[in-house]
Amino acid sequence: MLAFLARRLGASVVLLFVTSFVTFMLLSLANQDVGRQLLGINASPEAVAAKNASLGLDRPLLVQYADWLVRAAQGDFGRSWFSSEYVTVAIGNRLPVTLSLVIGVTVLTAVVGYLLGVWAGVRRGGIDRFVQVFSVAGYALPGFLVTIVIVIVFAVQLRWFPAIGYIPITQSVGGWLSTITLPVIALSISAIAGIAQQVRSSVIEVARADYIRTLATRGLPRRLILFRHVLRNASAPALTVLGMQFVGLLGGAVIVEQIFGLPGIGAMTIQYTTRGDVPVIMGLVMLSAVGVVIINLLVDLGIGWLLPKARIS
Amino acid sequence: MKKRILGTIAAGVAAALLLTGCAGGDEAAPAHDDTLRIGTMSVPTSLDPIDAIGGTMPFFQAVYDTLILRAPDGSYEPMLATEWAYDDTQTELWLTLRDDVAFDDGTAFDADAAKANLDRFRDGGGPNAAYLAGAEVAVLDATHLTITLPEADPGLLFYLTDSAGLMANPARFATEDALVTTPDGTGPYVLDTSATAIGTTWAYDRRDGYWGDDPDFSTLTISVFDNENAIVNGLKTGQLDSALLQTADQQLAAEQDPALTLQDVLFDFQGVLLFDRGGYVTPALADPRVRQALNFAVDRETMLSVVRDGRGEVTSQVWGVDTQGYDAALDDHYAYDPERAAALLAEAGLADGFELTLPRLTSIVTDNIATALQTDLAAVGITLTWADVDAGTALKQIFVDREFSGMVMNMGQSSSDWIAYSTLIAPGTFNFFGTSDETVQRIAGEVRALPEDQTADLYRELNAHIVEDAWFLPFYRMTYKLVTVPGIDVVTQAGQAETSIYNYSLAD
Repeated sequence: MLAFLARRLGASVVLLFVTSFVTFMLLSLANQDVGRQLLGINASPEAVAAKNASLGLDRPLLVQYADWLVRAAQGDFGRSWFSSEYVTVAIGNRLPVTLSLVIGVTVLTAVVGYLLGVWAGVRRGGIDRFVQVFSVAGYALPGFLVTIVIVIVFAVQLRWFPAIGYIPITQSVGGWLSTITLPVIALSISAIAGIAQQVRSSVIEVARADYIRTLATRGLPRRLILFRHVLRNASAPALTVLGMQFVGLLGGAVIVEQIFGLPGIGAMTIQYTTRGDVPVIMGLVMLSAVGVVIINLLVDLGIGWLLPKARIS
Repeated sequence: MKKRILGTIAAGVAAALLLTGCAGGDEAAPAHDDTLRIGTMSVPTSLDPIDAIGGTMPFFQAVYDTLILRAPDGSYEPMLATEWAYDDTQTELWLTLRDDVAFDDGTAFDADAAKANLDRFRDGGGPNAAYLAGAEVAVLDATHLTITLPEADPGLLFYLTDSAGLMANPARFATEDALVTTPDGTGPYVLDTSATAIGTTWAYDRRDGYWGDDPDFSTLTISVFDNENAIVNGLKTGQLDSALLQTADQQLAAEQDPALTLQDVLFDFQGVLLFDRGGYVTPALADPRVRQALNFAVDRETMLSVVRDGRGEVTSQVWGVDTQGYDAALDDHYAYDPERAAALLAEAGLADGFELTLPRLTSIVTDNIATALQTDLAAVGITLTWADVDAGTALKQIFVDREFSGMVMNMGQSSSDWIAYSTLIAPGTFNFFGTSDETVQRIAGEVRALPEDQTADLYRELNAHIVEDAWFLPFYRMTYKLVTVPGIDVVTQAGQAETSIYNYSLAD
């Protein structure tokens, strides 16, 4: 296990380095006129040159990257070019918003999607057809449309929940719940559809496997077979999908964040990428990369726990 | 069992729909509490006065006073300066300052502090540093100073109501970036750093012992959004108290809520800035008849209807409605007349038309604008080609490399005639080829030598000349909507899109 973790850690360091280098180069090559963009078209060429120099942009690209890397390794990601915020503070302000959404969606999706999938896979019949229709609808309905309908009905018209904004959990648990409930529901619909469909298919497939039939013919209780063998084996693919959804949501909740006016990482990614704010984008990319590494590791460990056979590889 | 479940779900949905239909609209408007929550799409790059620019001024006005106050109608009123006067040459401005204002750390606001601010603004390399280029500030005594200009600049008083006039605590200047996120001024509010999340929400508390009239609001919050849909939802649900809406569809959404109050704001015009009046890139544009033909060729009414649902006013002039030089009669100077456009082109020896290439910034030139302009110009024989430009390099391509003859742009219309002149007419950023003529130079010279209240006729003459000579191809002024919830009063600010902080109050 330790060797496995060490290997994964080593690979992760290489992954983070390559990701940072490629991202930095691509962003820097695309940003040709930062000083001008910051100061506007009325600024003199001298002022623009001075601004570029103050940001260190008059140095060779590799020197700029090396400087960034050394500081980033010490936890200093610099300041936003366009809002002067410290990158760590800017991300730190927005991360709780996105984590609230992502964790909420993941929990809701895992519970509801798993239950629906198992129910449909085991019972089949009407509930199975319902889950399949729900899954197709969940996939087919455009996310932004669902979100807009939800906000209009439950926030603007009924006033059951706030239409915009975010209240930190540290400020008010009730307020926090009220601000994330609708966004979490909006994001969960397609996610639940995906997990339910995945679990349903896996349950049906595993239930038809020879070793399950063998266990049944030996007289093992149906409930024991279901919980100890069918669900355990059927859960691994769902866990993989759940992990991918979690990572995707870190930066992928853009539309929901925009519609609900939530100051999260997704909306931030769009804003700062549009402006070409390299220090912030680098911070976001690193956050995302670290998130991918951690989630993949957790998924691997989870699958290893569920399926001991998988630990060998 | 199954039927019972389905029946319960159906009843729930019906109840929800019933409630949806009944909710909202008819509730009595309660008195507003003393908080003001503004939604905006403008983001300040910092809260240091040297970084202040147009749309972000409210963030600064909350914490910094300006030397001179610009009233809602655009006139100038005392603020930190109580009196001012020019000498006969209009190159030296005397200012008398208040003697009862201090910063929070006890540092007095006096002439030395004002000079430190003005010098720093001039030399700080900010976006508007050119406002004070060449200006020399001299302290006469604690409450008097002079600003001496290398040549008369009729915009100086305006600058002192704007970014150049914001006064910060000079004790903070020695520390680099000290004011970027922790502003220190004498304004009506102080920044609440614990409740502020730079980049998303700025929270301010009313200043204790403010030297002027206390604002009505004990707290002020300015939140930044990246789309107007969220802002409108915030207004409808009372989570926001005021915002400026620019897009036609969101204005329509706000209009459907009878509880909201909407006021027209005419600030930006949209049109083609024809830089190349000397014909350096497109030789045909050197002939005024060709530029006039362009103006006659565009069907502004249809374009306004298609692009902005008619929310605006067609115009042929770049002077704004709040200026002295504005002449309503000039708005339809170039009424849609493709036959006349074709005739003018023929007179100029271009009966077969010519080719024009303009950069396309998709954030401004939407598909319907691109198509409308292309179609209108093609009808008189002008082939318009859109060059796709990258947002990151567009400014350099257009303003530094001078690759194009013009560009479609949304431009704010200041309440100051001189700002209109210096921004668009004088050689500079938007006249980078430096084209001019005798009429323009004569009028500019005469305006410089006169007090502002004696210049109205000259500006009207200048405006008429610019329109007749077709320096630009304006389409229309865009109507924005300043929206407020019940209980909040606000007055629009002349020559400014986002209204000033001072213009908000609690309704009686």
